[in-house]
Amino acid sequence: MKILKIPKQNLDLFVAVLPAFGEVYAPVMRGKGFAFDRPAFWSDVQMKYPRTILPPKKFLLPPREATFAFNPKGGYRNLLEEAAKPIVLFGVHAYDIFGLNILDRVFSQGKYVDPYYAARRQSTTIIGVDFEPDDKHFAYSMNADFVDSGFDLFLSDIGEDYLVLVGTSRGDDIVLMSGCLLQEPAKADFDEYKRRSGLRRSAYRTRLELGELPEILEMEYHSKVWDEMGERCLSCGSCSAVCPTCYCFDVNDELELKDGAGSRIRSWDSCLFRTHALVAGGENFRSSRASRIKFRYYHKQRGFVAEYGRPSCVGCGRCVITCPAKIDIVTVIETIRGERNESSSSITATA
Amino acid sequence: MSESKKVLIIDDDRDFAHAIEALLQSSGYQVRCACNGRDGLHLAKTLRPDLILLDIMMTERTEGFFMLQEARRVPELSQTPVIVVSSIYADQPIFRVSPEAGWLPADLFLPKPVDPARLLAEIRRLTDAAYSPISHAAGGRRES
Repeated sequence: MKILKIPKQNLDLFVAVLPAFGEVYAPVMRGKGFAFDRPAFWSDVQMKYPRTILPPKKFLLPPREATFAFNPKGGYRNLLEEAAKPIVLFGVHAYDIFGLNILDRVFSQGKYVDPYYAARRQSTTIIGVDFEPDDKHFAYSMNADFVDSGFDLFLSDIGEDYLVLVGTSRGDDIVLMSGCLLQEPAKADFDEYKRRSGLRRSAYRTRLELGELPEILEMEYHSKVWDEMGERCLSCGSCSAVCPTCYCFDVNDELELKDGAGSRIRSWDSCLFRTHALVAGGENFRSSRASRIKFRYYHKQRGFVAEYGRPSCVGCGRCVITCPAKIDIVTVIETIRGERNESSSSITATA
Repeated sequence: MSESKKVLIIDDDRDFAHAIEALLQSSGYQVRCACNGRDGLHLAKTLRPDLILLDIMMTERTEGFFMLQEARRVPELSQTPVIVVSSIYADQPIFRVSPEAGWLPADLFLPKPVDPARLLAEIRRLTDAAYSPISHAAGGRRES
């Protein structure tokens, strides 16, 4: 892997030329939070941010997208080309890149490739940046605090400069184009990188023990914790919306009343929604809120391990922050593991 | 001639802006000025100019670059001819990325100091009814 460095004072010029690779989206302030959006000016770009409200999956699996359109006169029109518009995601944290790598396994590396996701992923340039964990991050416990693939470039703060890891040939193209802005690193830069990496790892205040969790979940399938959570959970689906790896979607055909034209719409769904397991004839396989939230935990922490060898949670902490009922995944798992008392207060986040 | 053509100058160098404003007005152009990217973008949306003369280093060093990207997303400004007039390559020698490398959606890059006669000729050419805007995705043309 090629490693360079870029002085922080050159970063504005570096980002200014990124439109050669697509429309640039970066973390910017939105209200009291942060979102990946188009920066109007360099000063809008936030290099130090805890997490964005929505993860970058919103670019690869949009909340709502038309996959094809049809009408009685013009016939069928695939909208795949529109999905492949080149974009640059600048300033993505490691756990979010890890989340995209997990989505890759589901949508573009499995038996059935999703052409819309795959086209977007192919045309998306990803430039990562490191971050300082806050008390809601537990990415270190999920082995998602560092990525060695899934990005084109990755920037790590080493003081006056960012160390730049070049992850792909496209990343190398960016380096070649803006090469004068980058420099060869010295041994002292590597030493500083290692020192800061260690500090970052030790800065995680929230940790989660994953050992034997699938087996423990198997043993605790009938635990009353799930009923307690069912009482608290509002089934709003917020945790799914903000999760970097939740990918359930629904498909509907929307028709124009006038001329019979229409389009097929794919939109985000959530296993927390009452209708998620509702099938023809009115049977609902997960009619209770407790069964739905239990399913979510089992899918992410047990089913995914069986299918892909690791849980699909990346420890970003978004679900903890977003949940209106203050359900906290860390305390839920600690309770299931027997590390906390089984009481309703034990599964909620502390302020 | 071009009596009705509107030119928007976006430049924080007021002396330069006023000099070019006088030059263009004497040649029959309507001229408006803005001294930063945010005001310039706002004015461009309402004025719908026939051409924009854009500086780069204003309040921020890359302000013109970002403002131009934003302007190209506005449907009414997506094809408006833009001449970037800047001394960025002289002032920031570390910055050597050619404007022809496909990242700058301008019609022409002219380094400061600019020859007034040359600038006027380029403005006439680009505001001529026969002029077809280049594909901005392909980037700008650099002239010295």
